[in-house]
Amino acid sequence: MNMSTQETDGSPISTDVRTTENARADRPDETVVATRGLDVYYNDDQALDDIDIEIPENKVTALIGPSGCGKSTFLRCINRMNDQIDAAHVEGEVVFKGKNVYDDDVDPVALRRKIGQVFQKPNPFPKSIRDNVTYGLEVQGKDTSDEDVERALRGAALWDEVKDQLDESGLDLSGGQQQRLCIARAIAPDPEVILMDEPTSALDPVAASKIEDLIDELVEEYTVIIVTHNMQQAARISDKTAVFLTGGELVEFDDTAAIFENPSDSRVEDYITGKFG
Amino acid sequence: MPREQYQERLGELRQRVLEMAELVVERLRTALGTFESRDEEAARSVIDGDEEINERYLDLEADCVQLLALQQPVAGDLRFITASFKIITDLERIGDLATNLAEYATETDRTYSDVDVREIGALTAEMLEDAIDAYAGEVADATFEIARRDDEIDAYCQQAGEVVIRDLIDGEIGDSSDEEIRALLDDVSRTLLTIRDLERVGDHAVNIAARTLYMVENDDELIY
Repeated sequence: MNMSTQETDGSPISTDVRTTENARADRPDETVVATRGLDVYYNDDQALDDIDIEIPENKVTALIGPSGCGKSTFLRCINRMNDQIDAAHVEGEVVFKGKNVYDDDVDPVALRRKIGQVFQKPNPFPKSIRDNVTYGLEVQGKDTSDEDVERALRGAALWDEVKDQLDESGLDLSGGQQQRLCIARAIAPDPEVILMDEPTSALDPVAASKIEDLIDELVEEYTVIIVTHNMQQAARISDKTAVFLTGGELVEFDDTAAIFENPSDSRVEDYITGKFG
Repeated sequence: MPREQYQERLGELRQRVLEMAELVVERLRTALGTFESRDEEAARSVIDGDEEINERYLDLEADCVQLLALQQPVAGDLRFITASFKIITDLERIGDLATNLAEYATETDRTYSDVDVREIGALTAEMLEDAIDAYAGEVADATFEIARRDDEIDAYCQQAGEVVIRDLIDGEIGDSSDEEIRALLDDVSRTLLTIRDLERVGDHAVNIAARTLYMVENDDELIY
């Protein structure tokens, strides 16, 4: 069974698991969010332990790790959603574009317009599709236009599917469409960063793949930080991956291809290959 | 340990690749032995046995594809499976070369005092065994030494080829019949092909070493 006449194997190995465009990967990293010595406690329980990280602009950063490792807690620190949890206590700094978001003069509501969030379960308001999109702008006291609605819905890859039913309830959409509506709502105020906490875990594979495609487009304009339990999803869509392990420790943060091909830390190797977790 | 079934399948893959490697080495050694013994039955066993190697290759290829498709391996597991996937191709091709060598060994009448096919064969077979040992034991250091030895074999083969060609150029065939000339040319061709195939066995041994180095250290230095 002679299958080739070429005996010397000069082909480069092809195990690059990243599917995002190489042009994006080659962009130099400009930090948009950085944490320094970040500790978070829920009462006396430490959820995050001395996290230092620099998250690059206009890239997708995935946060992975076993349940209870603090990755969602970390996400909520970035736009101060932890403020709403009485037991939570934050120490250290979260720096967004040079400013510590925990400084006294930072308005959390204004911060969340710049750092939007999409949750695990689609949570459109019981309002029309149009009102769901304009809600964030109206809260800011801004006038809204049809152009604003179209821009946000196009940005969320939903416009073509809903343009003729903008006054119908957002709750009548499918789960995947509802999640994209939530993304439209998040991008309507023109944020810089979008936080996503397991945004596809409640969706079927087709709807999930649409969200993944959308993330690939969103990152041209925004920085995306996504918590996911699906390691293959992290490998597919992210440029950088941060691995948190039990105890709230950030064990490794590197290019996604490096994490999934040759992690430096043996605990990360054990976790991503399923030897524990 | 979680994913026990998956871990067992990785272990089985390693074991089956090593079994295929053992079989290929055995066939190569048998083929090389026929240069001395000219044992046609032994040569025939190598040629007929190639089908078994091909079947093992296809089974292992299917195993690798299934592991990749169903288990989505990453990190060390991914490198192990992709390295194994490439290594079985090298083993299969060495099996093909062993059948060629068995044919040449029993059909060639002419020998050259300055061309020691058995010596070159022994060196390449040893290289192959060392490459397989490196894979089995996940020993990265040995792989560089194997690649270095291939340079020596290449030089040895080039020199041997020149001896054969020079002998042909210098030889006197003035009164030889057409049949004798044809027999001479057949022998020369077979000897040159023997040298080339042995050199290729060495190349495949280096490929196995290169994939092993990648598997163990994520180092692609020997692949390029």
